[in-house]
Order: sequence, then C-alpha cells, then structure tokens
Amino acid sequence: MTAGTLRVVLAALAALLALAGCTAGPPTAAAAPIGERAVRVTTTTNFITDTVRRIGGDRVEVTGLMGPGVDPHLYRASAQDVRALREADIVFYGGLGLEGKMADLLADLAQHQTTTAVTDGIPREALLPAPGGAPGQYDPHIWFDVTLWEQVSATIAATLSERDPQHAATYRQNLDAYRSELRALDTEVRTRIAAIPPAHRLLVTSHDAFAYFGRRYGIEVAAIQGISTAAEATTADVERVADLLASRAVPAVFVETSVPRQTIDALLAAAARRGQQARVGGELFTDAAGAPDTPEGSYIGMLRANAGRIADSLSATTVTQGG
Amino acid sequence: MNDDLVIVVVAGLVATACGLLGPFLVLRRIALLSDAVSHAVLPGIVAVWLVGQTRAPLPVIAGAAAFAVLCVLAIDALRASGLVASDAAIALVFPALFSLGVLGVTHFADGIHLDLDSTIYGEIAFTPFDTVTLGGVEVARAAVVLAVVVLANLALIALLWKELKATTFDPEFSATVRLRPRLLSRLLLVAVAVTAVAAFEAVGAILVVTMLIVPAATAYLLTDRLVVMVGLTVGIGWIGAVAGHRIALGLDSSIAGAMGLVCAACFVLALVGSPRYGPAARAMRHRTRAVDTAGAGPRPG
Repeated sequence: MTAGTLRVVLAALAALLALAGCTAGPPTAAAAPIGERAVRVTTTTNFITDTVRRIGGDRVEVTGLMGPGVDPHLYRASAQDVRALREADIVFYGGLGLEGKMADLLADLAQHQTTTAVTDGIPREALLPAPGGAPGQYDPHIWFDVTLWEQVSATIAATLSERDPQHAATYRQNLDAYRSELRALDTEVRTRIAAIPPAHRLLVTSHDAFAYFGRRYGIEVAAIQGISTAAEATTADVERVADLLASRAVPAVFVETSVPRQTIDALLAAAARRGQQARVGGELFTDAAGAPDTPEGSYIGMLRANAGRIADSLSATTVTQGG
Repeated sequence: MNDDLVIVVVAGLVATACGLLGPFLVLRRIALLSDAVSHAVLPGIVAVWLVGQTRAPLPVIAGAAAFAVLCVLAIDALRASGLVASDAAIALVFPALFSLGVLGVTHFADGIHLDLDSTIYGEIAFTPFDTVTLGGVEVARAAVVLAVVVLANLALIALLWKELKATTFDPEFSATVRLRPRLLSRLLLVAVAVTAVAAFEAVGAILVVTMLIVPAATAYLLTDRLVVMVGLTVGIGWIGAVAGHRIALGLDSSIAGAMGLVCAACFVLALVGSPRYGPAARAMRHRTRAVDTAGAGPRPG
C-alpha cells in the first residue's frame, strides 16, 4: 500500500468522523409547544404503553417499542425505533434492570430528554431483592402487585403533568379513574387467590417472575430457573421443585408466554415419577401483556387473566391428564 | 435524518475494520473465527463479574477481549500442531470456552442477567444516542472506537502487507525465507479478536460476523488480486451498510439484519456473475468455445 492511498484513507476516515460528529446533536425542536399538540411518548414494555394510554387519554400519542410476547431482554430494535426515541417528548421505561443493556441507552437519553423509569416512585423498601443478585439489585417484575402498579401510574401522571402542565387536571382525572379500577382489580385478584385451598397455594413457573404476586396475594412461588431467561434450569432445580409438587399434591404448574416449554415438561415428568400427576395450568403472561384488542392486551386484563388461570387450575380437586 | 447518517457511518466503519481483515481469513480458510470469538467471550464476562461484581462496559470489554485473544491463540496452536484441521480447531476451542461461560453463569451468577445480550452485544440502532465530546463536537462513541480500530487494522496490513500476502498464499515458502508465518498468523488473529470484541460492543454480533466474512467471500469470487480483493471487500461492506439501512427503514425492521441480507445478496450476485467461476461466465465460455470449434471446422468446399 503506497503513502498516497494511505493519505486518501486517512482523509476519508476524518471526514466520516466529522460527519458522525456534526450530526449527533440535540433532538430537532418540535414545531408547536406541547400544550397545543399531543404529547409524544415512547414506552418500552406494553404494560407501560397501555397504562400511559389510559392516563394520557387523547392528550398523548404513544409508541410502544416492545409488542406482545416480547421478553424485554430479547428485544431487538427496529430502524423506526430510533426515530420514536429521538422524537419523543417523554420516554417511559420499567427500570430496575428490566430493559437489560438498553439501560445504557436510556441513561444516554436522559441527558437530552425527559426519560422516566416508571418504578422510580416506589420506595426502595417496598421492593424485593433480585434473587441471587448483588446487593442493591431489585426484582423488576413489580407489575404483579397491583398496589405497586398504582404507584407506577402516579409517576406516569406526574411526569405527563410536568411536561404538559396545561392539562394537568386531565391527567389527574384519568389517574383517579384508573386508580379506582386498579383497586377493584386488587380486591378481585386477592379474592380469587384466597379461594384456592391453602395447601394448593403454590405457584410453580419456569422463570422467577412472580415474587411480588406471591407476596401481595399470599401464594407461595417456586420457579425452576432464576430471574434470567437466558440461564438454563439445572437438573437439581427440576428435582427440587418436583419434590415440592409431590409433597403438597399441587395439581398444576404454569408455562409463561415468554419462556420455552421444555423445562416445564421435564418437571412434569419428574413429578409423575414421584406419583404426582400435575398438569399445565395454562400460560401466564409475564414480561408482556397479550395482543392489542384482546382482553389480555391491557394491564388490567392481563392480570385478571393470570389470576383466573391460577385460581381455576389450582382449585381443581380431580386431576385429569392433558385437560 | 441525522441519526440515520450516524448509523450508516458506524456500519461503514464496521465494514471497513472487518473488510481489512476478512480477505485474509477467507483465504486462510478460517472465516468462522469471528463466530467462534462471539461465543468464546462469555467466560470473560463471567470472570469480570466474579472478580469485580460489575457489568460496566469497560471491564466487560477487557474481560471479553482477554478470552477472545485466548480463543484465537488456542485455535492457532491447534492448527499449527498439524493434528487437527482448521475447521475442527475452531469447532474444538469455542464450544469449550462457551460451555465454561454457561457453567459459570448458572453456578455463580444465577439470578442476574449475565448473558452476552445484556452485557456486551451492542445495538447499532442505539449508537447515535451514545456520544462523547471530541474537540467541542459531540461524536457517536461507537464511531470513535471503530475509527481507532480501522486505523490499527490499516496500520497492520499496510506495514506487513508483503509478509501477510506471502504467508497467506505460501506459508511453507515464506518460512524458508524467514518470514515467520506463525508470528504473522498470531498477529492477524489477535487483530481479529480485538476488532470483533470492539465491534460487538458497538453494533452487536451478527453484523460483525457478517462483515468479517460475507464481503470478503464475495470479493474472492470477483478478483484474483489481493489488493483489489481488500478494496472490493470494504466496498461491498459499505454497500451493505447503505442499502441495508434504507431497507431497514422501509420495512421498519432490524438494521443489522437488513445489512446482513444485502451482503448475502451481493454474494449471490457474485456467485452467479463471477467472471471466472460463475455459471453465467461458464455458459458464455462454453458457447464461445462451441462457436470457435464450429468456425475451425472443415471448410465447405
């Protein structure tokens, strides 16, 4: 390679860097002030998307990055997501490590635009530690405790009112309406779980997402694998949970929508060897709500569906295979 | 608009950094090395977690790079032993390291999200948001890191061009003229390991694996001259970057995926249209020969 070519390449590199430099500026200013147009909100998981829509009403234009059935850790950005993030007036995310490496991006965003972790308003002592995690790390699956989600809704309303103070009264009103629905939901879930025979109140799932649910609604939780959907369950994990199933004669276990089913099948086989015929009690929603326009597509509908499936399957007295 | 430009430039820099090394990997028949490295870095991430209880980018990259280098050197040593073929050497080393990493995750780090996706693999879509201030201007951090890698790779192949060329095409001869093929091979592999880790962190694994292999394999079909091959490789990578980004925007799909597909499409085009090896060229030669034979036949008369 001659010195001439080298010089050309160096010049090209410098030009490219300059190009990348002058372009990475602050977001382009929106044409109209916020009070006169819809607030552009971008959200990560679809529980947050749904809740922002409920509280923002027609004042907000929400773009959700993660659709139904998406594990937030396995989310892949699409080309238009870049625009949705850059042009958002507010970005709402779950926080507590829910979004994985995307947390780096969210920290970068926070330097330029309003970026709120919806779990920020929850006092740290109300949080559970991440199982096996380092000190200071919390379990992010707070949406399974409806009272915690109420606090999330309040944080969302406060952030919206801050950016769009002219319409603070609207947000307040919507929040109050949503809150009373959440309270009714909390009572409903509590009643349904309390109706399960006490010995059967054991929720076996493949991935550790229900600790808050267990704490709030009084049901013991056992997961086969840890909090990460990437770690594989060990044989010891499967045997341990199978022992628990057999000793309590629990009739059903649960497969989650965002976790592969093989681990649960291995567990059922292990329980059967111990004389306990358990069946799959249905799929529970964990990291994402269902498809839009279905009852499970909203936060409230998702939680109601989960509670119903858990209560129905665990209350069953006679166990039939494959039902 | 601006963000789009940053993304294309970052992808182009990945294409350049990888394109400078890719031809040597393809010619030396160790193209799958980048994929091996993408898996072999996991124990490095676990080790960093064990030692420092951290998932911060810098220590993670350092740990990953250490195991990437270990991986390529082990592959090189196995290859040089003459007991196993190139492909087997690659396939022997990286599953062992990856398994070590998986074991480490389940044993020491169960309960936290310690996997490749959440620690080291970057996402090209997010590169415009992560900036550093350089001489008063905000520049995408990935662009700066990758520009440094491009310069290092450029220096490597510019300074050792003759040696790399000789050892690539004729290792035995170059050993007799004291070119030290083993040392050169190791240097090249370490460059690949460092490039791969730096690029994984910026843009994710699939784009890096693609850019290290596909453009080089495409260029291989189009020319017999090494210097042209390197130039073509970088050029094809840039085509993948620019066209792939357009397509990703149009389909609102993964940027890295679309870029990878454009590169693969370039390869298919080259395969069909290759001047020497492609079916089109072969059919043409066949026809020419037929015509020649006909023309050379006995004259009427």
